[in-house]
This record gives sequence, structure tokens and C-alpha cells, in this order.
Amino acid sequence: MMRYILLLMVFIVLISGCTGVQDEKTTLRVFAAGSALGPLATIEAEYEEIYPMVDVQIHGHGSIQVIRQVTDLRRQADLVVVADESLIPDMMFQPMGEGLGNFTEEYYPFATGAIVIAYTERSAYADEITDENWHTILRRPDVRIGFSNPMLDACGYRALMVVKLAENYYHDEKIFDEMLGNHIHPPPRIITTSSGTTIHLPEMIQPDGDKVRIRDGSIFLLSLLETGGIDYAFEYRSVAEEHGLHWIDLPPEIDLSSEMYDEEYGVVTVHLGFQRFSSIGMDRTGQPIVYAAAIPSTAPNKEEAVRFLGFMVDAFSTGREAWPEPIQ
Amino acid sequence: MRYSLIITIIIVLGAIFVSGCLDHQDEQEEEIPWNLTLTDGESTILLSMEDIRALKPVTGHAYAVSTVGIRYGPYRVKGVDILDLLDLIGGAGENDLLYISAPDGYLWVFDTEQASGSGFLTFNTDLKEIPSPPLRVIIAYEQDGKPLTYNDGGPLRLIITSDTSDVITEGSSWVKWVDRIEIRRR
Repeated sequence: MMRYILLLMVFIVLISGCTGVQDEKTTLRVFAAGSALGPLATIEAEYEEIYPMVDVQIHGHGSIQVIRQVTDLRRQADLVVVADESLIPDMMFQPMGEGLGNFTEEYYPFATGAIVIAYTERSAYADEITDENWHTILRRPDVRIGFSNPMLDACGYRALMVVKLAENYYHDEKIFDEMLGNHIHPPPRIITTSSGTTIHLPEMIQPDGDKVRIRDGSIFLLSLLETGGIDYAFEYRSVAEEHGLHWIDLPPEIDLSSEMYDEEYGVVTVHLGFQRFSSIGMDRTGQPIVYAAAIPSTAPNKEEAVRFLGFMVDAFSTGREAWPEPIQ
Repeated sequence: MRYSLIITIIIVLGAIFVSGCLDHQDEQEEEIPWNLTLTDGESTILLSMEDIRALKPVTGHAYAVSTVGIRYGPYRVKGVDILDLLDLIGGAGENDLLYISAPDGYLWVFDTEQASGSGFLTFNTDLKEIPSPPLRVIIAYEQDGKPLTYNDGGPLRLIITSDTSDVITEGSSWVKWVDRIEIRRR
């Protein structure tokens, strides 16, 4: 009888997962910018198919929040992926504490992006807009424009930079005010000095009238485009492509896509309305859009992170449709 | 035989009991000492959690979406109407702004219209924009009947609530770990 009891006990203990034998799967935690989530979902699936004992978990945030998960909130991450490479040295090349090393020591740029004007076939003047007249079409009173909140989304402050850069490119100093500035309450203050132009945003950036719509993130602009709530939206090209939208490519001199125009982009700065994060200042200066990744010093699975990073960089280097462009 | 059966049952139940490995954590999170500072630059009030719980409680439904479209909720939350807190330092004027901040260095700014529950975007559960129903901004300390955990932004989190569980609001305004509310007079 005792033999059966013992056998039963062993069986119960075994099925209860109390043998001390752990599930061998490694969990790889990746914090990533929203505009990289589409490609990363594909990469995750491909990686897990090759390495079935790895569970890649991707958590999406805005780029600054991605880094704050590691720096301010001290959450464990194996990899961070951001849509603005400058954030990594600014926020992670910092000591983790007194006498401790930095949050990371290096980062890997792997793709580039560009700002485009996204629209649908139902958008007002869809049959008329071109890459030459977009800045006049978007100023028409009956055209509704969307951009994401510069306080929350890099695409938002980049949209403002693009429109300001367009004034220099097209030699028309009314573009910014007529397209955006006059339709924001209170209107941004524009201060131009010999070193460049700064767009000072108010603390509360809100539309004045129906021409401009501001949303927390680009996903909400896509929804507005689909339902006809806006005619045009400032988006990353890869996002517009991923969601099957039409788009107008802008000149590389203003679309923040090219290292060649780094200096030209740098003449425009957006000064945010308040300091949302104590760990980063209020100024965002124009520069090429470069996606980058870093492995935090505190990554629990560094070796796996290195392998995944290599896999990810390889995947991006192939230049797939609707993904950010491979870095040259 | 009957004796053996009883012994067997006792041993099997014992095995089932210990098979949980006896490593269950106490699921009750230890309460973190926390205070809330209310200030308008001239006068300042410091409220303990006990003080806050002693204020008139309000409840509501809470459902948020992040900037990248991830939904959190729905939850049932309890806390204090932010207007009641503002009244403790003389209330907020029409043009005043509210700086709500947390010790992790996060700050978000509201106007007084928003403090009254207006001026927010709202979505249905398919994330389509809908006309805003009545909303209330609260400083929450309970979620689904339990104290708000640190991971969920507790002990105190600013949450936008509605009367029904199918209204989603933008999570960017839901400041976690609130420890300071400052009225900037204008």
C-alpha cells in the first residue's frame, strides 16, 4: 500500500512543477519605439522559429520612454530600440549610480527614416497633390492636417521641423504659420537668430479650429486618415507604407532622411512646452532620423541579446518593404 | 483498510499542499510610505495616504491606451476627485495650469478644463474616436478593490475615469506615482 502512496506522491509532485526543473526558455525583453514595432514583430517570429527556446517579448513605447524604462525606472531589458539615435548617448552614457558604470557603453545605428505626407484617395485634393505643390495644398483652408503631439512623439516635433525647413527650401516664410502655427492655440513663438530658428511650443499644445488635429501617436492619425477625420498626416515613410497609405516624398533637404543634410537640419530646434522628463532637456534639434539599438549594461541575457541584435541588424540591412531604410 | 485509506488521503492532500513548493509570495504588496504635496507656490499642504483616504472617495471605470496603441484595462478604480484636492489650496482659476509630477522625474501638465473632465479624447474599444462622455480626473489609490500596486503606478496615480467600462482615454495623461500637484497661477 505504501508503495502506491509513494508513487502517487511522486506523480503529484511531478505534475505540479515542483521538481526544481525550470522551463529552459530564455525570455528576451526588448523595449522598442512604436514605429519599429511592425518590423520587430516579423523579426521576433523569424527568430523564435530558428531559436525556439527563446521567447522574445517586445514592449512598445515612445523612444524616450523606451530608454527611461532602463534609466529612470530601472526595469530589466535586454535590448532597447529607438527611432532617434541621439537619445542613447544623451540618456544612457550616464553612470547608473555613484561608482557604477554607464547604462550602456555603445550603440548600433541600423536604419534610417524619412518624414512624408501620408494621405488616402479620399483626402481633399488627393488627385492634385504632388511633391512640388504639397506645401500650397496643405495650406488651403479646407484641408485638415494631423500630426502627433511633439511632447509625446518624435514624429510630432520632426513634423514641425520639416515644415519650418520647407520655408527655407521653398523661399516662402509663411509656410509654417499658414499650415500649422496659426491653427495652434496659443500659437508657437518662433525665434530666429544667426544660429538658427527655434520653435517655442506652449505648455498646452491644442488645435485652434478644425484645420489641425494633434494626437498622442501616429497610430491615432492613421485612424483619423482612414475615417476621413483628416486629409493629410505627417508620418514616417515606413509607417505610411506599412498601412497601405498614399504618401508624398519630400525633398531630402527637408525630410530628415539624409546624413548629407545634417547641418541644414540642425538649424531648426523645437523647444518643448515643459520638461516632461527630468532626465532629458526641452530642446530637440533637427538631425537625420536614425534608428539605433543598445544593450543595457544590466541586461539579464547579454549573450542572447547580442545574438538577437545581430539577427535584427541583418534583417534591417536587407531593406524590406515598409520597413525603415537600411543604413548606408 | 479504512485506516490505510485515511492515511492515503492525508498524505495525498499533504503532497498537493506542499507541491506548491511553499514558495508563494505574500501577494499583498507592502504599503510604501507616501505623501502628496499640494502647492500653488504660496501655500503648501502635505497629505499622507491616511489623509487622502479620509477625503470623500469617488469610484469610476478606467481604460487607457498608450501612445503606441496598447490598451490597459478596463479597471474599476477608487480615489479622490482632483478638484477636491485643488480646493484644499484654494482651487484652480480658469487660466491656471496644473503641473502633476512624480519622483521618477515625470511631469504632465493639465489645464483646469481638463481637471474638470473636459477636453480629453475618448475612444471606443476598437480605438475609434467617440464623443466624450462625462469624465472625471481622480487621484486613484485603489484598482479593482485592491491598493494600487507600484507596478500599476501606485500608491497614487492620476486616472481619467468614466461611468462605463467601454470608454478609453489616452494613457499619456495617467501620471504614475504622483507625489506633487502644483497649481501655476496665471
